[in-house]
Amino acid sequence: MSTSLKRFFKVLPFNLFVWILLILYLAPVLFMIVTAMMPTSQLGDKQAPLYPARIVPYVYEGRDYQLYNVPMDNGIRQMALIKPGRVSSLFVDPQHPENGLVEWQGDWHTLTGVYEFHIARENFAHLFDSMPVSKMLGNTLLLALVGEFGVLCSSIVVAYGFARFSLPGGNLLFYVLIATILIPEKVTFIPTFYMYIKVLQWRGTVLPLLVHLFFGNAVYIFLLRQNFKSFPIDLEEAAMLDGAGPLRRLISVILPQAWPVVITVSLLHFFYTWNETRLASLYLGSISTWKPISFAVQNYQSLVPIDNLIEASTLIMLLVPVLILFFAQRYFMQGLVITGTENKQ
Amino acid sequence: MQITSVIKNKLTVAARTGTSVETRFKRQIGLMLISPWLIGLVLFKLAPIMASFVFSFTDFHLLNPDQIQFTGLQNYRIFARDLDAGSALWKTIKLALVIIPLQTFASIFAAALLSSEKLLAKNTMRLLFFLPSIIPSFSAALMWDGFTSPSTGWLNRLILSPLGLESLYHFSNGDSSLSFLFIFTSLWTIGPGILIMMASMQGISNEVYEAAHIDGAGRFMRFFKITIPLITPAIFFSLVLNLTAVFGGAILLDRGSRWRNDFSSYDGYVNFVLFDMFKLGYASSLAWIFFVVVLIIVLILFGTSKRWVYFPDREN
Repeated sequence: MSTSLKRFFKVLPFNLFVWILLILYLAPVLFMIVTAMMPTSQLGDKQAPLYPARIVPYVYEGRDYQLYNVPMDNGIRQMALIKPGRVSSLFVDPQHPENGLVEWQGDWHTLTGVYEFHIARENFAHLFDSMPVSKMLGNTLLLALVGEFGVLCSSIVVAYGFARFSLPGGNLLFYVLIATILIPEKVTFIPTFYMYIKVLQWRGTVLPLLVHLFFGNAVYIFLLRQNFKSFPIDLEEAAMLDGAGPLRRLISVILPQAWPVVITVSLLHFFYTWNETRLASLYLGSISTWKPISFAVQNYQSLVPIDNLIEASTLIMLLVPVLILFFAQRYFMQGLVITGTENKQ
Repeated sequence: MQITSVIKNKLTVAARTGTSVETRFKRQIGLMLISPWLIGLVLFKLAPIMASFVFSFTDFHLLNPDQIQFTGLQNYRIFARDLDAGSALWKTIKLALVIIPLQTFASIFAAALLSSEKLLAKNTMRLLFFLPSIIPSFSAALMWDGFTSPSTGWLNRLILSPLGLESLYHFSNGDSSLSFLFIFTSLWTIGPGILIMMASMQGISNEVYEAAHIDGAGRFMRFFKITIPLITPAIFFSLVLNLTAVFGGAILLDRGSRWRNDFSSYDGYVNFVLFDMFKLGYASSLAWIFFVVVLIIVLILFGTSKRWVYFPDREN
């Protein structure tokens, strides 16, 4: 046996254990994906298989019927149910339609259907008909881009200030920054809400969702600052001797080293914007043309309480963030270093 | 001429106060760099906090804001007799006591699994474990709702009934299954926590482990005596963030509204007072009471941190 194969069998039990955990952990996601593809007829049907399926259809004399497993004298036969009844029902044998209607004694409710794998594409068609999906995606992307621009520019500059410059009061301002992370949102929320709605009359505009982002975000500033601090200072000193000002040093010395954390922060913010419904429902309202996708989907899900459509809308909403997570994972997975003292390569 | 006089002036000031021109200049640049945040701090934090403090002593009402009147401690007296608010506050604290340790243990455990050398397809596994943490909370709730449904959900059909267990009551009717769901949905938020712990574990140099290995320390010994003590900063950070998330502060990966009012009962109660009763004054005093409670908990946490959190800064 080759050494790599030996190693594989040595680590196999551990990996199986992790896989089982993962499957249990993600089971509701699998459930969501499968349910999103189920036809509506399958939802309340306890006999239906777990995968997306429908009862096999059969066309007889120009009309649609369904196939059932019917116990006949010569074993169980797959027959199309033409006229259902409590005491006796009429069937047609799809193999011999020329024989005409066959009568079967018994309640048709006791019969099980003949299922086949079937993906209900109509769920997604229905979604695209009832929601302006592309418009909503555009809205959300625009909100995400503008917000991303504001929050990244401001947070990076502020984090650089905290990382490399001595400030009046020593560390006091940094402690204030951390303290603002801990303040419950509700305390600042009521006056802000009143200000936006009554004083500035910003209801129905996107301003309440965006303006505060241009002043930085405390959590992002903290993460960026901790990373900036871990970079060796020599390069910056060299640039300073060459006459580079603080912004120049930030752009040409710090940022090239900081891609992982910058990408991490921008992803955190992107996922936030994608999932944000609180501010959107407060300030935009449900008639706004600016509706972002998550808010629209939430509205849709509360109006259409049919499981497969609910899960289909979730699936559509999740596609973009999952794709982005997939492509950016390499940076994302290493960007959350919080102790500002490590000097990693 | 003027410039030299300015510099001369500065030099004399510096000589008097004992700070060099350079540090003063550096401080000014630093202040300029952090000024966006400072302005934001005043506009979006300090001013609203003070305003809601003032509101909390009034009968401020959203529908007739012009008739605002100073009512003194009236709102706080109402709170003392408000059983709904008290029980909501207690429920939120109880929930925090269950969820936060669970999230912390789960993220350490997952981070240890995901940074193990034995793990195959590391990046894919990390991605998959992170995935639920980007699902909006309302969608996550709907997924769990469908998954645990007694008739068609997989939990019952694939796990409970093959094992001969009774199906869970659906979470729309029953307190016990509700707490079950809280536990599972809160486990779906640990993605950022896992990343923080993993980054911290990778920061530990191999030499430390090798030295312990030579001294005969086994795998568990090394994990509990080296890994855990050295990642305490990360544990502390994620404890604080989980705490503020449950209590409605900043969230590292915010996924929209708390999925049910029950998740943070107190938050839900404040929303009810605010949006259904329009009592801005009373809601402000509820928010302030909460602020003080959170402050006390956080201060206690920070107070204990000196005993168990390893600060590499201190040693340098």
